[in-house]
Amino acid sequence: MAWIATMFYRNRRLISFILAFVLFWPIALSPGRIRPIVGEIIASALYFPFSELKDYIHELSKVTEENRYLRLQVVESSLQLSAQAEAIRENRRLREFLGFEPPENFRVVPVKIVSLLQNIYPVAAIINKGSNDSIAVDQPVINRFGLVGKVVEVMPEFANVALLTDPSNPVSGRVADSRQIGIVRFSPEKGLYFDNLPADALFKAGDLIITSGLGGVYPAGLSIAKIDSATAEKGDILKTIWLTPAVNFFEIDELYVLISEKK
Amino acid sequence: MRIIPYILYLYLLAFHYTILSDLISIYGATVDLAALMITIIAMYKDELTAFWFAFAAGIVAGTFRLDLMPWEILFLTGFAVLINHISRRINISAITARMIILAGFLIVHETLTILLISSESFLYLMYRYVLPSTVYSLIPGWVFFLIKDERLTWNEIKAQF
Repeated sequence: MAWIATMFYRNRRLISFILAFVLFWPIALSPGRIRPIVGEIIASALYFPFSELKDYIHELSKVTEENRYLRLQVVESSLQLSAQAEAIRENRRLREFLGFEPPENFRVVPVKIVSLLQNIYPVAAIINKGSNDSIAVDQPVINRFGLVGKVVEVMPEFANVALLTDPSNPVSGRVADSRQIGIVRFSPEKGLYFDNLPADALFKAGDLIITSGLGGVYPAGLSIAKIDSATAEKGDILKTIWLTPAVNFFEIDELYVLISEKK
Repeated sequence: MRIIPYILYLYLLAFHYTILSDLISIYGATVDLAALMITIIAMYKDELTAFWFAFAAGIVAGTFRLDLMPWEILFLTGFAVLINHISRRINISAITARMIILAGFLIVHETLTILLISSESFLYLMYRYVLPSTVYSLIPGWVFFLIKDERLTWNEIKAQF
């Protein structure tokens, strides 16, 4: 046996070349049968783990990209949803307003608030229509709940509105049931109140205060507030009534300017 | 001849062809790792080791294009034996000598392979693929020789920063 091993060792170069030739020949001469088998063996033994790894990495990068795209979609969808929800709310408000009958000889111009000036309470607003849309000074501004204020300054595209919460903007009002007339004012400390009422004026909590129509600025009958409580010291000639405004000035959004159609 | 390191080299080759080649390719030029590994093994190992490794590398490299498999085996084994003989007959202690052998083999291997695959003009192929790939493959070869000769050590790299 030793001589065989010695013979192999001495001729290992020749044996190697012969063996390589024996292996090479079928690969070279049988492209349709042996080569695919060899390729299959090498591919499954050497390439397969790496091709799986490559596919995995590729899949992972696709998932990352998809994730990024979906996040963007979620943001876009949530924006669309918010816009839709806002449109639904606006639609509801506008539908509610559809039932509103403007006072006689007045027409309604819908406006939007561009900016709201706040000083503890909102006191003034800039609206998105001006003299180009027939908006003029002293026109009443309302929303679907009642009187909001009046136009005090007009620009071509914008107008300034003084709200009822502006202390320098008193309104002549009356108790809807008893027809007592007084002045509705606003004080930052006390809130909205009805002033200049005689001490024996008849009213009860919850009575509606409406515009009196006196003074020529506001038409009669616009809701201003509801009576909350009253104070009158013994011997006082006049009485002060505390009011709850019909309009929540912190939530005003769509407004309507009443434009007189009288020539 | 311990066989496990060579099997790992073949896995490295498969990894290169599957993943690495795409990642490191610059305008279509990539490292010819098969030729690089065979040259290095042929320079530092004996003839039979280089021969059998080149044979196996030829099969691995030819798996992508089965029609080229016999050619790959022929080129790589032939050059492995040739480089081994050259290395034993001339003094290759200088890096330049090894780089010249490597460059020669890379150019010939790239040229033969690309001529078998492509039908475009020879000069265009040389300019567009063969020379850039050869230069690109020489860089890791050069770094390997520097590390092998201990001219580039970890301490020297650290000293640069």
